[in-house]
Amino acid sequence: MAEVILRQLTKHFGSVEAVEDVTLRIPDGEFLVLLGPSGCGKSTILRLIAGLEDATRGEILIDGELINFKDPTKRNVAMVFQNYALYPHMTVYKNVAFPLETARMAREEVAEAVQRAAEMLEIEALLKRLPEQLSGGQRQRVALARAIVRQPLVFLMDEPLSNLDAQLRLQTRLELMGLHERLGITTIYVTHDQVEAMTMGQRIAVMQDGRIQQMGDPTEVYDAPANTFVATFLGAPPMNLVSGSLERDNGQVSFRFEGYELAVDPATSGIAPDTLDEAVGEAQLGVRPEHLTLASPDAEGLPGVVRFLEPVGSDLFVSVNVAGHAVQVRMPPDTQVSTGSNVRLAFDPARSHIFGADSQNLRS
Amino acid sequence: MTAVDVPAHEATPDDWAAPSLSDSEYRWRARRYRFRTVRRAAGFLSPYLIVWGVFLAIPAVWGIFLSFNQGGLIRGDPRVFVGFDNWTRTVSDSELRTAVKNTSIYVLIAIAVVFTLAIFLASLLNHYKKGSNFYKVALYFPLLAPPILGAIMWFFMVNFDFGILNLLKRSVIGGDGIRFLGDNPHALLTIVAVEVWRGLGFWVLFYLAGLQSVPEELQAAAKIDGAGKWRRFRRITVPTLRPLLLFALVIAVIFNFQLFDSVQVLTDGGPRLGTATVVWFIHKRLFKFQDTGLAYASSIGLLVVVLILTALSFWLLGKRRQREA
Amino acid sequence: MAGDVTTDPVTLEEAPPPEETSEAAAMAARLAEAGRVKRLNDRTRMIIAYVVLTLFVVIAIGPAFYLISPAFRDSVSLFTYPPEWIPSEPTLENYRFLFSSTSYVRWAINTLVFAGATTLLTLVTNTMAGYAFARLRFPGRNLLFFVILATLMVPVAAVLAPTYLTVTTIGDWPIIGNWIDTDTYLGLILPSAVSPLGVFMMRQFIQTLPDGLYEAARLDGAGEWRIFTKIVLPLIKPALVVLGIFVFMLTWASYLWPLVAATDNEFRVLTVGIASLKGQFVTDWGILAAASLLTIVPVTIVFLFFQKWFVQASMAGALKQ
Repeated sequence: MAEVILRQLTKHFGSVEAVEDVTLRIPDGEFLVLLGPSGCGKSTILRLIAGLEDATRGEILIDGELINFKDPTKRNVAMVFQNYALYPHMTVYKNVAFPLETARMAREEVAEAVQRAAEMLEIEALLKRLPEQLSGGQRQRVALARAIVRQPLVFLMDEPLSNLDAQLRLQTRLELMGLHERLGITTIYVTHDQVEAMTMGQRIAVMQDGRIQQMGDPTEVYDAPANTFVATFLGAPPMNLVSGSLERDNGQVSFRFEGYELAVDPATSGIAPDTLDEAVGEAQLGVRPEHLTLASPDAEGLPGVVRFLEPVGSDLFVSVNVAGHAVQVRMPPDTQVSTGSNVRLAFDPARSHIFGADSQNLRS
Repeated sequence: MTAVDVPAHEATPDDWAAPSLSDSEYRWRARRYRFRTVRRAAGFLSPYLIVWGVFLAIPAVWGIFLSFNQGGLIRGDPRVFVGFDNWTRTVSDSELRTAVKNTSIYVLIAIAVVFTLAIFLASLLNHYKKGSNFYKVALYFPLLAPPILGAIMWFFMVNFDFGILNLLKRSVIGGDGIRFLGDNPHALLTIVAVEVWRGLGFWVLFYLAGLQSVPEELQAAAKIDGAGKWRRFRRITVPTLRPLLLFALVIAVIFNFQLFDSVQVLTDGGPRLGTATVVWFIHKRLFKFQDTGLAYASSIGLLVVVLILTALSFWLLGKRRQREA
Repeated sequence: MAGDVTTDPVTLEEAPPPEETSEAAAMAARLAEAGRVKRLNDRTRMIIAYVVLTLFVVIAIGPAFYLISPAFRDSVSLFTYPPEWIPSEPTLENYRFLFSSTSYVRWAINTLVFAGATTLLTLVTNTMAGYAFARLRFPGRNLLFFVILATLMVPVAAVLAPTYLTVTTIGDWPIIGNWIDTDTYLGLILPSAVSPLGVFMMRQFIQTLPDGLYEAARLDGAGEWRIFTKIVLPLIKPALVVLGIFVFMLTWASYLWPLVAATDNEFRVLTVGIASLKGQFVTDWGILAAASLLTIVPVTIVFLFFQKWFVQASMAGALKQ
């Protein structure tokens, strides 16, 4: 168990900047999720911590000790790989026992530890099998058992669920959370799946182009996205964004697009007056589908025409055409609305976001 | 140092975020850390490198130096520096010239014969698959015996008195036997026969593997288009084998140029140098005749030729791989 | 250069001439007409093909069988005419002579020691070096590999004199000279274990193992040696077998180096020993046949059991590259 600190961590592959100046602290026992699209550098961070890659610059500390120049064999971190990387010629028992035997542990102790790990992951019945005789989910469990068996300081998980089918993924997700709760080992979990990130992470670090875009607990990141990338990457369907401009008229700032005008009040929008003044110019307005409501054509709000209806059982997603922009609205499933009908869109300004010309959220 | 660029999510960095190592310290430790791979590589490489270095690389370089010397091979025999004398004599020595000529003739005929037969038999085996495994194994058989034993077996084929070929000749055609090993050019042709017999199985399997990489659909398509057997062979089989053929040719030249074992046991270069080959010449000069200088120089000549051919084979291989990719 | 003449296989699809396809209907009619004759032709052709193949098989294995008769009879009877195919008085005299008056057994043991040790040494050094070239990063790796690879086909004859001098020079050194010299086992073995073919093969093979295995093992705390012995070696067993057979076959059949390096009968191997049975002027053919036959039979038996591996091994030299 340990605290992990990254200081200005940077990794270049030739001219490719895989990780750029990442600084973060992961307190002991935390479950941190690195979230981002493929190629954003999240896996590279994991590999840097594990020692499978050498950092170009920057420091990595585990429990206050600088480990940059420590061989991966001695870092005492465990990693679960996307394809599990089980040793194909060893039985499940041998696979799980391998790290312990490597550490020259006495045979009885090894047997005991393997037994304990196997019980925890319910793979006792598989111990004599070879990896090729296991299903994907079983291999996943063996990989986890091999990782936990020697009680590492840090757990690194590189998209461990991506090779499982949807049902199994859901189940394993819960089990992973249970496992973390029981063991309390600091865990860094890499995924591109925002649902995984939201449900599992105590904190989420959203990454793009090798940099951390935002870090915080899931609700914070979801409710107050730092920029348009985070706003659209989290949430399905993503936050609606429309481009327009912030303009100032008689001391009153308003957001204009396609001939519509929305007054932006510092008090209700939560944006500091100074920030608002500075941001005059190009801007984007963002509202999440669940924060929009459909109203009758004669009510207040932006006028639009319903284009598509997507009932998903628990919700009804309505795609509304507002001045050429497709806007997604989430409504209760029993909402009475038909395609082609005229509607108005209403939303609470406090739950809308305005992003400046640099794509940053003005509220922060 | 560059200014600490505070990321957006850490508005107020605490002292934990400040690097502990100076740039130079960091670089030095990183270099030392990276050096551990050199130590490991050295550990894994040294067993081979020592054997390779002492018994192949150093001798190869030493050989160049030796080619300017005479003698010194046997304990107590002094080595004398003779400058370019050995090299000028390589051009004029008639025995060496005969050896090079014989070897070249041998290489030409042997490769032409063995490749023709091998492609022919491989095409047959590729077409008539029934029982082909038996034929492959049987054709491979001569490769099991060391070249020396293969050659000894052929004594019993070509001996003047009791060789089966002469016994057949006498009973079928009549007259006296043929001196397969005692006359020229019979002797060299007999050596060709022995080596073709020995190598045929290998080349059949080699070309069979090549032929089996020809897509079946291509053959089938050509058949539907009414292309005859010979036409299909010429238009499809040959072009497919051609890159393989060039590579095989280079390899075969390298190996056949070293002809020695069967010559040494069957004819020992005779009659009247009719089967003297380059390696036979080198061995003889080194360990019998004791005109070592000329052998030193021709060894290096052989080495250079083989190195050039090796480079050529890699180049061909690279081309083939490029094409496949 | 010659290489430019080669046709790209990709363009082969255009090879069948298009002008003939336009007459597909006429073609079909002609084919149907010729059908009956053609089938007969196919049959004859097949018979001829198998006759030819069988002929070559007879040529391939015939000489070995032809050794049987002279091996079991008095050499003098070889010279009778008309020939006596089946010995009228079969005798084991040749074998008695081989075992009592020549060092055949000694040669056989020497051959096993020589080829066995060379194979073992080659497997160990080549697999380790192959691992280093495949998995470890170090400066100068590609250059070193290239230099080693350049010596892939260096003939024994081309370095015969300097290698001989190296061995005799080491032989003059104290202590180590007792072990490495002409007429010593190591003097025979070490210069026979230099070929980089195995390094190349093993590198290729080890490169095909997934990276994840090495990384997982490393994080499990395993150092290079443990990864090599516990993860890599078990997974490349087939390649080890192939390389082992290849090296063994090549070594026990080798002639030139043993001929030069082991002149003392005590260190002679079979190839040199049997060749020495062929006298300069008088040769006892029966004994020569007996010795050759005795040497080939065990190899053939092993071969028949493991023929797949043998064929793979012989191809390894040429195609695996």
